[in-house]
Amino acid sequence: MNERGFRWTAAALKLHAIARVTVRQQLAYKTDFLLRSVFLLFILYVFVQLWTAAYDGDSSRTIAGFTLKQIVWYLAFTEALTMAGPPLGPRIEEEVKSGDIAVKLTKPLSYVGYHYSSYMAEALFRFAVHLAVGSTIAWSTVGAPAFGLGWMGLLTLSLGAVTVAFLLSAVVALLAFWVEETRGMEFVMQKLQFTIGGMLLPIDLMPEWLQRVCAWLPFQAALYFPAGTAVHFQTAVWLKQLGTQAGWIAGLSAAVIWVYRRGVKKLHVNGG
Amino acid sequence: MSTGAECASGSLREDERRTGLGHSAGAALRFLLTCWKVNLASAMEYRLSFVLLAGMMFLNNFIWLFFWHLFFERFPAVQGWELRDVMMLWGISAGGFGWASVLFGNFHRIASIVSSGQLDVYLAQPKPVLLNVLASRMSVTAAGDFVFGVVIYFLAGDLSLRGAMLFVLGLLIAGLLFMAVMVAAGSAAFFVGNSEGLSQQLFNIFLALTTYPSGIFRGFAKLMLFTIVPAGFISYMPIGLLRDFDPAFAAGAIGMTLLFGAAGIGLFRAGLRRYASGNALAMRS
Amino acid sequence: MFALRTNGLTKTFRVKRKQPGLAGSFRSLLKPAWEEKEAVRGIDLSVAHGETVAFLGPNGAGKSTTIKMLTGILHPTSGDAEVLGIVPWKDRNRLAFRIGAVFGQKSQLWYHLPPMDTFDLISRVYEMRRSDYLARRDDLIDRFELGPYLHTPVRKLSLGERMRCEIAASMLHRPQLLFLDEPTIGLDPVVKARIRDLIRERNRSEGTTVFLTSHDAGDVESLCSRAVVIHHGGVLLDEPVEKVKREVLSRKTVKLTLSESNGAARLPPIAGTRIVRAEGRRYQLSVDLKRTAIDEVLGQLIGRFGLEDVTVEDPDLEEIIKHIYGMKKETGEAG
Repeated sequence: MNERGFRWTAAALKLHAIARVTVRQQLAYKTDFLLRSVFLLFILYVFVQLWTAAYDGDSSRTIAGFTLKQIVWYLAFTEALTMAGPPLGPRIEEEVKSGDIAVKLTKPLSYVGYHYSSYMAEALFRFAVHLAVGSTIAWSTVGAPAFGLGWMGLLTLSLGAVTVAFLLSAVVALLAFWVEETRGMEFVMQKLQFTIGGMLLPIDLMPEWLQRVCAWLPFQAALYFPAGTAVHFQTAVWLKQLGTQAGWIAGLSAAVIWVYRRGVKKLHVNGG
Repeated sequence: MSTGAECASGSLREDERRTGLGHSAGAALRFLLTCWKVNLASAMEYRLSFVLLAGMMFLNNFIWLFFWHLFFERFPAVQGWELRDVMMLWGISAGGFGWASVLFGNFHRIASIVSSGQLDVYLAQPKPVLLNVLASRMSVTAAGDFVFGVVIYFLAGDLSLRGAMLFVLGLLIAGLLFMAVMVAAGSAAFFVGNSEGLSQQLFNIFLALTTYPSGIFRGFAKLMLFTIVPAGFISYMPIGLLRDFDPAFAAGAIGMTLLFGAAGIGLFRAGLRRYASGNALAMRS
Repeated sequence: MFALRTNGLTKTFRVKRKQPGLAGSFRSLLKPAWEEKEAVRGIDLSVAHGETVAFLGPNGAGKSTTIKMLTGILHPTSGDAEVLGIVPWKDRNRLAFRIGAVFGQKSQLWYHLPPMDTFDLISRVYEMRRSDYLARRDDLIDRFELGPYLHTPVRKLSLGERMRCEIAASMLHRPQLLFLDEPTIGLDPVVKARIRDLIRERNRSEGTTVFLTSHDAGDVESLCSRAVVIHHGGVLLDEPVEKVKREVLSRKTVKLTLSESNGAARLPPIAGTRIVRAEGRRYQLSVDLKRTAIDEVLGQLIGRFGLEDVTVEDPDLEEIIKHIYGMKKETGEAG
């Protein structure tokens, strides 16, 4: 094997090993999973109530291309994705504050790469569980899904969606290298995803002007793309969304790396 | 809703000696005032984050209202609720949660305080335990919630004297109900051990329920909302208290607050006896 | 050939100055005051391959900051350093393959998983060949006697068991240079001795260079051949441990409680002994063993006084450093 091939293999093995150990550690938090699922069930129940009221319980009515059934399944997907993301901000902040970051930085590892690998493993694992939980409630309230290729759209776009979500949180989380408190900014970022990312409301239902704004922001790539495509699959749109996601991933990765490189020079590691 | 400053209650001993050991209302009030002053001073130590966090929470709530704005643009009225009502709902919920968390920031952390053994610190101090626990933390982010509530009132509320008084009453009931429910739920930790996760999730659910119009719920869910998970008494306020004042609803809300308050205090006391007698289960090692 | 060399290594932090009172807090909310704090100033140091160096100093002297610069975590404000021929903060990743680090108060083991999982992860992180890793792992498991703990979640291990796993984990990839930051903190004496043995054995059999910080004089004595003491961010002393021991550890502290009060007036001058502290009937003496034997001192005391209690102790590290600091100042003023 040539030198470059070896480097890539070693890097892939590293990421895989981190992902594996993350999932194993996840399995130690069974109660946490259960509680999260309870909240997911609850909030989806509230959404079903809200949207049923909004549609006056009329299952044949279509608003901006969405039937009640599609809306509920859409929300089950966006919620499953949103609640899949582990708390990256608090983790990095804690590592910086306690000085535990030293343990990671003395290893031949990319700090951002480590967190990406760990985040993806955890998020995809949780997503699978949440998808199952969310599907039960959607199925039992508005009926069975019939999305065909939509499932393929959901799964393919979810990979990129979780990556975009990671990169967005990482940009904010890495600010912990400069400021003591990143929680507030993370909160706002999260709420932006909730609204203009399309978690609470499909972007198609938003006013025209806002749809145009959303088209230029990364948030839609993290939630709206996979969930929207799942309920309304169209090959051309799906391909375009994959392309847009790739673009955002490239741009945001550059931003994360830039912030990290500057931040790590500023780093003030506390503790023993 | 996360960052807080711990009150350095140790410095309060001197006050105590001066006033004697009486748990009179005056002494309790002096104690609270000192606690709040110390909390505020230590919150100020995190200079930048204080302003940032409060501001972020304000913005956070605002973004939610933005969602509702979008929602009502599609559906102008849902079960008789309009955007203005939902704004007032957020005003009351955030405002009530805000003042309660600023002044009594530990009210939703009782389960974790009990199961992590931190309660011993409070037990060692010559102050009413529950009051001491509650007032020992000030939530910085909640200051943003409170300000948000007030701002929303000025944007969407009834600015007459009557309207203002009703709004203040609403805030008062909402905050007290938040505290009462969470003290009752948190005290479960005395009896079942390690219920932190559950208590936290219950809190999230309760909080979320106070931010959705009560009108969307039907049947059993509605019954729950006005009985064992009494979030409905907060989430119906924009209609039942502020828009079309309904004495029966107001009386119900006050009654429920008193009921849960009494239950919370009772459960806490019973739990404390159990804790002190050394029978507390499953303490974290 | 040096394992490690620094030249004028300096690190300055900016820290917030807190203003007292509520009003002060409000003021600093609007207009914070900053001050510069020099954590490390101009450290010159060189360590040869295979050396075992104790890096000592009181809390806040700049030990941890120096280690963090040498491992590439912190960027220095000025000065140079080279570790195994690499500038740490410029090429942290490449250096990381060749060094190991144990931070006594921080864990690299995954808390909810058995140590074996962390070992596997580390073998990937350090890109070890599978066969090499397995042989190495089994060898370390054997030497560190980790067999019984391998499949127990870390959270259920005792501190001593955990530390043995931590150190084994940091040696898996055969580091040429091992940074140990308080490796025995919080452990009981038996476990401490055990861990020191293991580290010493690695140094002998593999020529691993050891760079250790500790508050424990025992760690220093049993592990290191050379002691570097820093104070206020600069090197105060750099001597073989043997010599430091002869010169500095040549003192013992005698604490005694007399059975009658005001004995002080009658306490005779004993050669090489001075009174460090006197409180009522309690005295603390510092005895220079080069001039007086300890039994000589005790004999004199017992002959003249009724004694309620006597203890003989090694001076602790903080005291030694204070002592060195005092000596340096004296000689500095004399010269």
